[in-house]
Parts: sequence; C-alpha cells; structure tokens
Amino acid sequence: MRIIISACSVVRDPRATPKPLLQQSSWSSLWHLEAETSEAMSNGSAGSRPPDMTNPGRPRAQESFPEPPLMKAVFTHLSYGILILLGHVCDFLRKLGMKRDPYTEALKNEDLFKMNLDFEMFFTRNIYRRIRDCWNRPIASAPGAYTDLVDRVSDDCNWTFRYTGTKTNCLNLGSYNYLGFAENTGPCADAAYQSTLDYGAGTCSPARELGTLDVHKKLEALVARFVGKPAALVFGMGFATNSMNIPALMGKGCLIVSNELNHASIVTGAKLSGATVKVFKHNSVKSLEAILRRAVTDGQPRTHRPWRKILILVEGVYSMEGSLAPLPEIVQLKKKYKAYVYLDEAHSIGAMGPTGRGVCEYWGVDPADIDIMMGTFTKSFGAAGGYIAANQDVINYLRGASHSTTYAASVPAPVAQQIITSMTIIMGDDGTKEGEKRVAQLLDNSRYFRQRLTEMNFIVYGNEDSPVVPILLYEPGKVTSFSRELLKKKIAVVVVGFPATSIVEARARICLSASHTRDMLDYALKEINEVGDLLLLKK
Amino acid sequence: MQVMSATAITNPNASWLNTRGMWLGYLTSVAILHFILLSVPLFSTAMAWTLTHVVHNVGMYIMFHHMKGTPYPTGDQGDVRRLTNWEQIDNGHQYTPTRIFLTSVPIFLFFLASFYTFHDRAHVTVNLIALAVGVIPKFPALHKFRLYGINRY
Repeated sequence: MRIIISACSVVRDPRATPKPLLQQSSWSSLWHLEAETSEAMSNGSAGSRPPDMTNPGRPRAQESFPEPPLMKAVFTHLSYGILILLGHVCDFLRKLGMKRDPYTEALKNEDLFKMNLDFEMFFTRNIYRRIRDCWNRPIASAPGAYTDLVDRVSDDCNWTFRYTGTKTNCLNLGSYNYLGFAENTGPCADAAYQSTLDYGAGTCSPARELGTLDVHKKLEALVARFVGKPAALVFGMGFATNSMNIPALMGKGCLIVSNELNHASIVTGAKLSGATVKVFKHNSVKSLEAILRRAVTDGQPRTHRPWRKILILVEGVYSMEGSLAPLPEIVQLKKKYKAYVYLDEAHSIGAMGPTGRGVCEYWGVDPADIDIMMGTFTKSFGAAGGYIAANQDVINYLRGASHSTTYAASVPAPVAQQIITSMTIIMGDDGTKEGEKRVAQLLDNSRYFRQRLTEMNFIVYGNEDSPVVPILLYEPGKVTSFSRELLKKKIAVVVVGFPATSIVEARARICLSASHTRDMLDYALKEINEVGDLLLLKK
Repeated sequence: MQVMSATAITNPNASWLNTRGMWLGYLTSVAILHFILLSVPLFSTAMAWTLTHVVHNVGMYIMFHHMKGTPYPTGDQGDVRRLTNWEQIDNGHQYTPTRIFLTSVPIFLFFLASFYTFHDRAHVTVNLIALAVGVIPKFPALHKFRLYGINRY
C-alpha cells in the first residue's frame, strides 16, 4: 500500500507544478499554450476566472481606471470655466463690433443662409478653434511606423491654415496600424497591385447586383476560417457594417442592451433598427445582469409580452479606454437569460489573442458561444471594410436583408486582395513565421510601453494587454501642449478631449503597432517623459 | 476635442456636472468671486456678501435657467435645444445629488449673507429676492415651465 501511495506521489498534478519562466528566444514561447490550460478552463466552474492564455501561471491581466485626482479635476473645471468666460467676452465684443475675425466677416454676407447656430457653435468657435491645429493634420505617406505630416501654419489664430509646402517625417503613434500592414511595399502591396491590373479599382455595384467577385467568395471563406465561425459576409465600409446590419437583425419588439461607450456606428444601427435600446454601465456585469433580469421579467413596455429577441452589444477592445469587455461573464449571462451576443471586434481582431484571432481567443471563449461576430479590416489588416461572421442561416438571411448588400458598393477587389494576403500572413498559411512574429511584437510593444509609462508615474488607463494606451492629461491646456510639444519632437499623437470624452478625462491615445521597434518606443518614451515633466502630467 | 462624440452618451450636458471635482471647483469659484468683491475698497463686508449672493444667483440663473441647448453639437439631433441646462441635468431626473447640491448652494449663501449683514432690513430684502431667483426655477414642478412663453424658443 505504501509503495503504491509513494509511487502515486511521484506523478504530480501538472496544474500544481510551477510553470517555468518564458524565454524570449522564440516567438511562439511568448504565447506558450499548454494542454492543461484548456483542460483547466473547461473544468472550471462558471464563476471562476479563466487563466490568462498568454502565461498560464499568470493571473488575469490587470485593468485599471483610476479616478482623476481631486486637485487635477478641480483645476480642469476651473480651466474650462475661464475658457468659457473668455468665450462669452469674445462673443460679446463681436456683437458690439469691436472684434473682427473671419466669423464676423462671414456673418456679414447677406446671401449666406443664417441658421441660428450661434450658441450651438460656441464651443467650436471659442475653444476648439483656438487649438484645432492639433487635429485633422493631413498626412502625405502611408501611415506606417513613420509618416509624413504636411506642415501648416496659421496667421489668424487657426481660422485658416496655410501650407508651407514642406513635410515632416514623424514617428506615428496615432494610426490604428496594429500589425504593421500599412505598408506600400511587400507581398500585400504587390498582390493588391496585381489585383488592380486584373479587376480595376472598383466593383461598380452592390453585392446583390453584379458586385460579388470571386475574390469576395475567397475572402468570406477565409474570414470565416480565421474567426472560427461557419460563414462570413464582407462589406465595403466598417461603419456601415454596424449601422446597416443591426437594423436587419433587430426590429420592433426586440431589445438591444448596449454598452455605455459603444461606438457611434453601433448606436446608429441600434437607433435605426427601431428596437428598444437600454444602456448598461461600461463593462459592468452587474449593471448588465440587472437590465437583463428586469427585461426578462417585465417584458415589453405596455403589453408586457416577452421580448422577441434580446441582443447584447459589446466591443472587444474599447478604443478610447483601452479596456476589454469581460467576455466570459457576458457569455455566462447570455446563456442564463437566453439572449444573443453581438461582438464588435473592430480594434481587437488581429491585435488580441496568441494568433491574432481576437478577444475570443484571448479570453478562451468558444466562438460558437458568440452569436454574431463583427469586425473591421481597417485596423489590423491595413485595408478598409468590415465583416460579419455567424452561422450559415444568419449569413444567408443577411445576404438578402442587409442594407449594405442591397445598396452599398461591395469591397473593391484590390482592397479584398489586401485583406486576403494580410490574413494569410497572420494565419501563417504563407509558410513564413511573419504573422506570428507580428502578433507577438505587438503584444510585446503594448506591454513594454504601458509598463514603462506606469513606471514613469503617468496615469494610464486600460488593460495591460491592449494595444491602445490612453495617457490621461486632464486640463485642456495640457491636451494642446502635449500634442504640440511632441510634434516639435517629430512624434505624432492623437489627443482627445471634451465633449468626446468626459470633461475631466481628456487624454492622449497612443496606438501601438507591430512595426514599432524597441528603439522607436524608447525615443517616444524619452520625449514623453520630458513633456510629462514640463507639463506636470505625472502623479 | 472632436466636437462630435462617438458614444451612446449623446448629451454631455447631462453628465458633466456629475464629474469628480465639480463640487469643489464650484465652491472654489464662488470663493474666488467673493474674494474679488471683498478686495474692492468701496464695498463694506456686508455689501460684499450681499453682492456675492446676488451675483452668484444671477449668474446661476443665466447659466442654468436662461441659456438653452448646448454649446456644442450633440448626438441626439437637437432633442435638447429647447431645454435649459437645469432641465438637461441627468436627462431630467429630479432629486439627484447634483440637483440637490446646486439647490442648496444659493440657500447656504443666503444664510451666510444674512448673517454677515446683521439681518439688516434692506440687505435681507435684496437677499430674499436673490434667493427666489436662485431657488424657484429649480423646483421640480417647474420642469420645462415657461412663463407666458418667455424663453420658449
């Protein structure tokens, strides 16, 4: 008996053994998957947290959204107060005729139809206009790791811009170029060029008329295989994929439960559908459950009939926050309350997960559990357009019922070819390790950048693994200076403020890319560090 | 600062007063106003307090109960263009913490002003009128109310 027990003790439970530290020598070791991990997850109860797929021994990646420090918030409010006061003074002087600028000159034109936009344009005229050189900067090259910004100056306080004729080559931290496919050389560009020679630039038709090419058939099959669903449908515009297909799927008598911070395309689609829309607090599973419980028990508003369908709309990665939707919990809820889930992977397809298959792979959720998976080709594939992947019968229905397939032109052949080539590379089907390398490089960049920024005491939002890194700036003056100072150092960043974000949470949103090397990131971090010291952005 | 918001929060006016630091920022602004008025050598302390109270309430009336709509284009296609800022707070829900705070500030200032003016009859009359201007428009019963069509459009 003792011999048997001692023999058994030699064979240890593999889950109990401490996992070795990852070596960075080979790319695949960064995403070290083990059989025990998937076994542990399938055995795990509904309430347990699935281990992080990237490192089985590591806990779930941290997400942090610290509240603004009180003094910074107060100063932000006072800054906006001063700006608004000055704006009113300027408007008053304009009315008296003591201040003349292009706005008053335009108002003098009697032929111009004067819409009463006086107050509604207050913010644009007095606040946004003063600093609008930080936005809408034209670029003159492919938006890769470096990009050429067209230089412009303003002689009249940003009412008009004058192009100096020169260009500045800047480090690009603002483009959604997650896997670095925004290149004008390489296999994707060559294939797209050949496709232009074969098919021309446009399809000249919606998909339901004469706009379905063999390239589209190939692309749809490839997308379905990439994402892990039986079938897929592709559309020419990412925004239109949401806004035109949600109305085809939902109608009157249906309920849409949508995240607070969902993108405008989802909100537009939900509004156009005619369904009842309820909003749950950002990533709050409690809020979602409360709404679902209420909806299922109360039914429709007056008749109390059961809802025809309940659809939960979430995004994989929220681009303004850098946060991830808690998919495992949402799938649990959807199964409990018999709802459907629509997952918008605009920013996460290609960018998350060990092989770039998106947040489903990242969380370890079975794609069959997500009823409708949507994504765009704009970010990780260097193309344009969107897709919807679902069961065969849903796709068959959408092919006929979608507004996009009926009225909007289909994906142009060169763009479809670009997607096919880039997706093939990501999947590794072209025989190289290029895709694996890019996905791993992106994760490495995201983690490194965020970690270094946190070490430098910047306030950074979001999930540790997400490629979107928002640095909080708070005051409107700092938002402007951050953008301008970094431009002087030849770094292009995107800054966002009120009203696109909350009034106290203005931020710089940095999008990392697989085409960024460690040196580029180190240079950017050095400059951001200096600007952070200059502007007192650190904790 | 893209002036168009791309989220489900179609009207930032409904929620910006709920943000962190608003209460302290608001009270700080009132304090700054008071110190500016105290610094003017013409005014006695009593006058400065009454003026703080009156200027604050008149400013609050103009900002919350006279100006309608939003100073930026919103994502709700102009649903709120006829509503004053007060009516837009929290999308019309009453008795929320923001509304209670903003109602109590004029009342608090009234008590302070009466105290520092030694309840002098003239000052109290002026302060009472200012209090009425500050508090009556905030009654929930007067939500979306327009007297004789003034300020309707």
